[in-house]
Amino acid sequence: MKEVVTSFGKLRALDGVTLSVEAGSVTLLIGPNGSGKTTLVNVITGFQRPGGGHVYYGEKEITGWSPQRVYRLGITRTFQVPSLFGKLTTLQNLLVADKTHPGESFLKSHLRHLWINHEKETVEKASGILQTLGLAEQSDKPVSVLSGGQMKLTELGRALMSDAKLYLLDEPISGVNPTLALEIFARIVSLRKQFGMTFFIIEHRLDIALKYVDYVNVMASGKLIAAGAPVQVVSDPKVIEAYLAR
Amino acid sequence: MTLDQVILFTVDLLALFSVYLIISLGLNLQQGVTGIPNFGLVLAVAGGAYITASLSTRLAIYLLNVHTSLDPIVNNVTVLQLVNPILRSSPWISIGLLILFLIIGGASGALMGLISSAPAIRLREDYLAITLLAFGEILNVVGTGYDPLIGGPAGTSLPDIFGWAGQYRFYWATLIMLLVAVMLFVYIERLVKTPFGRVLKAIRDNENTAMSLGKDITRYRMSSILIGSILCGIAGALWALYSGAVTPSYDRLDYTFLPWLMVLLGGMGSNVGTAVGTLVFVTLDELIDYFKYSFAPFLPFNVVWLNYLLLGLLTIFILIYRPEGIIREKWTSTPAARPQTGEAKPG
Repeated sequence: MKEVVTSFGKLRALDGVTLSVEAGSVTLLIGPNGSGKTTLVNVITGFQRPGGGHVYYGEKEITGWSPQRVYRLGITRTFQVPSLFGKLTTLQNLLVADKTHPGESFLKSHLRHLWINHEKETVEKASGILQTLGLAEQSDKPVSVLSGGQMKLTELGRALMSDAKLYLLDEPISGVNPTLALEIFARIVSLRKQFGMTFFIIEHRLDIALKYVDYVNVMASGKLIAAGAPVQVVSDPKVIEAYLAR
Repeated sequence: MTLDQVILFTVDLLALFSVYLIISLGLNLQQGVTGIPNFGLVLAVAGGAYITASLSTRLAIYLLNVHTSLDPIVNNVTVLQLVNPILRSSPWISIGLLILFLIIGGASGALMGLISSAPAIRLREDYLAITLLAFGEILNVVGTGYDPLIGGPAGTSLPDIFGWAGQYRFYWATLIMLLVAVMLFVYIERLVKTPFGRVLKAIRDNENTAMSLGKDITRYRMSSILIGSILCGIAGALWALYSGAVTPSYDRLDYTFLPWLMVLLGGMGSNVGTAVGTLVFVTLDELIDYFKYSFAPFLPFNVVWLNYLLLGLLTIFILIYRPEGIIREKWTSTPAARPQTGEAKPG
């Protein structure tokens, strides 16, 4: 991102933010509430048009792209407040994330043989992800009966279904018990090693997140105030004053 | 009631149920499954009825090789005296024409759905609802004012494609309508359980999230409106063919708000609920209609309004005490995830 600016009325949510995320890294974004972290993710993923500046994915400029185009490019996200499909089951919430399902076409949906094998493969993949996240028992239940932490995990599972290259995760372990939270971050690191995925994570639980990330960016009042390796950033006086001392 | 009266009552009820079931299924697909509040259903129903009525006699003359210089709409009665004897003598020709007219009805409904939704499909639900509501009024105005369509305010008759059944016309007509309704129920029920149906529900539940997963919201909403409108058009055509005549009086109450009440009563989002709600509503409506004059001496108001009063009260009761309807939408398990014999369920 280069010099991205976004305002809501008089409020400058992003004030000339310039940051980059290295491919294949696990990068953390921290900052106090209202510092612009989620707005930054919204701008990248097309949910918010910036008032100025540019967003790039590799060499390609994606400023102002629609969320659909951004997703098809290989960028996926989760939401700060879990955004699930309330009347679908946990498994179905993951299945919707499939990018290339032939059965989602109106015409092809009439010819079961064209999509049933793909459906079975997708179900198998989704079931495996649910198993890893400890949600296998909730597979056939509507997400409306899940706890807040389980909803967060379902959203993470949906992101993992997408085979994206860049994952923007907004507080993926909030409401999740510490043991599972550690497992989730361990899995994120393992996916990065195995498949070269890139993770850009907003998170407040530094006791867990800092163990696993390569870089940390810190925002406050719409500006990027620090960026670098975890040890370096958490000892930065500006960061301590703006965030860590609170 | 005598046995004959019971039979006639039941046949009449089933005919009405069949037509309303098809309309309600179309509405449930749009609102219950996709989250599009269509308050303009009457446009597709009327479109199916009026265009089928307008084209049916013209097509019958052409396909049955009837030689006449009379106008099929202006001189409708005389022209049909040449067409109907041919239809009465051949059930297969009649069935063939029925299928053709239902295709025309469905296509007309789709056209009406496209015309009414295209300008507003990208709008949020409430703005789209208002736009569809406004469009619903247009076709009655056209039907009344443009005589070549269906003969203006007096309306027009249709070829009697059930005439081959003689004295059993209404029984056979009802049976065929019920068959069409059941087939469309099975079709919609299967469609909703496909991955396509899953995306429609996702859009209903959370449009922004569906967008974030790459779904083309506009395309899916348009598909839902078109399919729903096709069903409404077929229902309009069926009712016109059953009645044998059409006038430009397809009003919003009968063909938009009553289906809404039926679907709400039965359970929004559930096709089975929609069918149950439609059956309950139509049955109660017909029963009230049949018996209401017996209550006239005891009521302080004109019994003409009794249907609206009682059914309105029922609707309020359902909305307060059982807003999800008689049958809640059930979450369907994914077909590919159901265990085969001897296999463990995934996860």
